[in-house]
This record gives sequence, C-alpha cells and structure tokens, in this order.
Amino acid sequence: MNWRGWFDRLVVLLILLALWQAGSMALGTYWLSGPWLTVSRFFASLWDGELIFHASYTIQEATVGCVIGGVPAVLLPFALRKHPVVVAILDPFMVGGYGAPKLAFAPLFILWFGIGIESKIALVAAVVFFIVYFSTLAGIRALDTRLVQMAQMVGANERQVGRYIVFPGAVPSIFAGFRIAVPYAIGAAVIAELISSNRGLGYLVQTGAMNFDTTQVFVAILAATLIVHGFIAIVDIGERFLLRWRPRGAALVVDQGL
Amino acid sequence: MAAAPILEIKALGKRFPARSGREPPPWIIQDMTFSVGEGELLTIVGPSGAGKSTLLNIIAQIEVASAGEIAFGDERFASSEQKSLQPGLNRRIGYVTQDDNLLPWRTTIENVLFPHEVQGTLDDKARTQANELISAVGLSGFENYYPHELSGGMRKRAALIRTLVYDPPIILMDEPFAAVDAQTRTQLQEDLLRLWSLKRKTILFVTHDITEAIALGDRALVLSRRPSRVAAEHPIPIPRPRNVKDIFTMPGFAAIYEHIRADVQ
Repeated sequence: MNWRGWFDRLVVLLILLALWQAGSMALGTYWLSGPWLTVSRFFASLWDGELIFHASYTIQEATVGCVIGGVPAVLLPFALRKHPVVVAILDPFMVGGYGAPKLAFAPLFILWFGIGIESKIALVAAVVFFIVYFSTLAGIRALDTRLVQMAQMVGANERQVGRYIVFPGAVPSIFAGFRIAVPYAIGAAVIAELISSNRGLGYLVQTGAMNFDTTQVFVAILAATLIVHGFIAIVDIGERFLLRWRPRGAALVVDQGL
Repeated sequence: MAAAPILEIKALGKRFPARSGREPPPWIIQDMTFSVGEGELLTIVGPSGAGKSTLLNIIAQIEVASAGEIAFGDERFASSEQKSLQPGLNRRIGYVTQDDNLLPWRTTIENVLFPHEVQGTLDDKARTQANELISAVGLSGFENYYPHELSGGMRKRAALIRTLVYDPPIILMDEPFAAVDAQTRTQLQEDLLRLWSLKRKTILFVTHDITEAIALGDRALVLSRRPSRVAAEHPIPIPRPRNVKDIFTMPGFAAIYEHIRADVQ
C-alpha cells in the first residue's frame, strides 16, 4: 500500500475513535467505555500481569484446540484420497458438522468435559476441524491429474505421489483453511469461557459486564482481536516459507477459491 | 528401416465407454498398425482430432485400448487381457506431454532430478548428468528458479531433459513445441536433434506441423481423420546432421512436403 493509502486508513481510524469517544461521552462510561479509557486500562492491566494471566489461558486453549482439531482435519482427507466412496458417505455428516452452530454446543461440552480447560479446547477443536477439513478436501480435489500421471510415468509409487504431488499441491488450501479458522478458534475459546470459567478473556468479559465495568469488556475484546492478528501473522510466516515457490499475488486467487 | 522393431502397434482401436441412452460411441482409432525400429525418430502427423494424443496415452499406458495389441520387445499387451495399467511401463517409456507438467513447487534442478529421486537413484553421477543436460539446453544459471520464473521455451527444455535424465529406451513426445514462438521452436528442435544424435533413443514425435515432421524424422506417418488409422508412410531421406532452420532448402524437401500435405486430409 502506498503512502496515500496508509494516510486514508489513519483517517478512517481517527473517525471511528472519535465516534466511539463521542458516544461514550454522550451515554456515560457506565454504558459505553471510551477509547482512551480502554487503551489506558489495557496497558495498566498488561503491566500488572492480569491481562497476561487471562490472555495466556485463552491462547493456550486456542493453540491446543487448533492442533487437536486441525491435524486430523488435514490427515483425514489424505487418508481418504483413494476412497471417494467413503468421502461421499461421510459428506452429509461433515456438512452437518460444518453447518451446525457449534457455539450452541458449548454448554454440552462443559457438561461433558467439565468447567476446566478441556471443554474449551473441545469447542475450539470442533470449530477448527470442519473448516480445515473442507478446505483440505477442496485442495486435494483441485489436484492436477496430469502431474500425478507425470509422476507415475517416471516411476513414483502411490506413497510418493501423495508426498511429492498431492501434499504440496494442497498446502495453499490448508493454509487458507487455517487462516479462516483462526478467528473462529479464538472466538470459540472466549465464548466457552464466557459461559463458565474462572480465568481467560471470556471470564474478563463476563465479570466486566456483571460489574457494569464496560472498560474491562472492551479491554478483553481488544486483547482477543490482537491475539487473532498474532495467530494470523504466524500463519502468514509459515505460508511464506512453505509457499515461496508461488508467484507473488497468487495467494488472493487461492483464498477466494474456498 | 534396418533395425528390429522395438515397438509394434497391431490393429489398435479406441472408443470411449458408451453412456447410457446414447448410441455406441464412434471409434477414435480403428485398426491402426505400425512399428517403430530401435533408435528411430518416427514423426506422426495428422489433422487435429485424429486421436494423436490418445494414441500416445495408450502406448504410455495412461489410457486403455479398446481393441488390438501393443508389443514392446517380447512383451505383449493385448487390450482384451489388460486388467490394470502400468503408466510408463516400469520407466521404460518416457513421455513429454503438450503441457510441461513441471512441479510448480520445485526448482529447475529439483524438477529435473525428480525421476531419480522417486526411483531412489539420486547420486553424484545423476547430479553430474543432470547438470550436463541443463547446460546442453542452455538452462545454466536457472537451476534454482521456480517454473513460474522461467519462459515457456525454458520450461519446455526443462520438461524435455527431465525425461532424458533417467534414460528410458522409448520417448513419446506430444506436440511438445506447439505452444512456443517460431524462433524458440527452431531452437528447441535443434536441441532435440543434438541430444538425439548423442544417445539415439527411440522417439515417437507427434505433431501437426508438416515441416517439423520432415525436419526431425527418419520416417513420417500420416494419420487419417477419425476413425484414425495410418493413411500413409514416408521415409525422409534428407541426410543428417540437418539444419532445421534451412530444412526447406534441402533437395527433396519440397517433394516430401507435397506428398504429406496431400495425404493429410
């Protein structure tokens, strides 16, 4: 983006902050905290360690949940690559799992896994699994069969075709899936904490709202947003490393394919 | 053709499976018979839609034949008995397709060494040979470039030497130079003839360009329109080494060109 673009972006930010501040002054901080209050409380709570205490819990849930949900979601389509019938049988159930409002399952997960970290991880994993499963599947289906034939002609066996052709070909779609899944993962962790917990950003939201401390609610939301940015930055770094063979600008095309 | 046939095509036929509720599909290839001698460079010319690519796919064992038989040395593959395909026939048939089919996530050198990598024969000798081929076709300095960073002609060269590097006895080429500009094509044809004169592989080269068929081939087969069969066969007595750029000035060129053009209908 050029200099002018950054300037325009800054103007939009200032307008939004001004509107927020004006709303806060009109309604009173009792109803709507202001940007200045939020940012100063954010840093105060960062220094005294309280924010880190809660955010680290949420990050832990999201990370473990992404791994538990994401790894099988990547492996399953590969395992089923040679069994299109099984994929077809599973399809309506997978679509159901993808379409069902998983946040509504949060009370059930708490019932099954307790009010500790396990229920939050389970919810995050359920959310991540279906998103990554479908994007990985799409990547495998979009595979260029001519490349597979070329590999077979030069002597590649089935395992080598999977490793050298199918997997690298699906990597862009896997990354696209994780990029979409990350905000949902953080969101699921926060919602699960909201319902029942004694730690985490969702807990901060919950207690803040209970005590009519809207500033605390905004601090927690700000922290969750920054965590999403951090996670996406990690996905970007991994993608840039693994996809350095791609022409620049191709990322947009693949992401839209989902 | 002095050498013993290394590949024989006998009464080959191909039609695609019928779809329910339709008339039986027409034959694409019917009763096609020819043989290829060891070390021969056979060019195959035919109008578009004459089943040229299908023919190569069947020989490469990517597609099944519907009738007839293919003999490769002493081995016979009859279409009626064939249960499963072995693409490339255990690496004895190399295939340079119309598209370069380079792996976009591999650099030039990694693409060229790919056959050795999957065959477990990647050693210093293979690397040395790959580097020789890379410089023979003028790709030196581009070893570590990804395919999208190469020009169309360079990608063709990389695809060509990826097949030459593991030394299959028979190489099939399906209009490999069709998609490049005229100057690059002449250059690629000269590269191919130079590499072929060094190793004398058996090559089946499919093209729709009559000049190309004459410039490269020891013999040119002309295919008829669908259903495709061998319509004519022309030995090309122009002596080697040939100058591809000026091939049309060679004595005899005009007569062969006229004959082939009359047959391609």
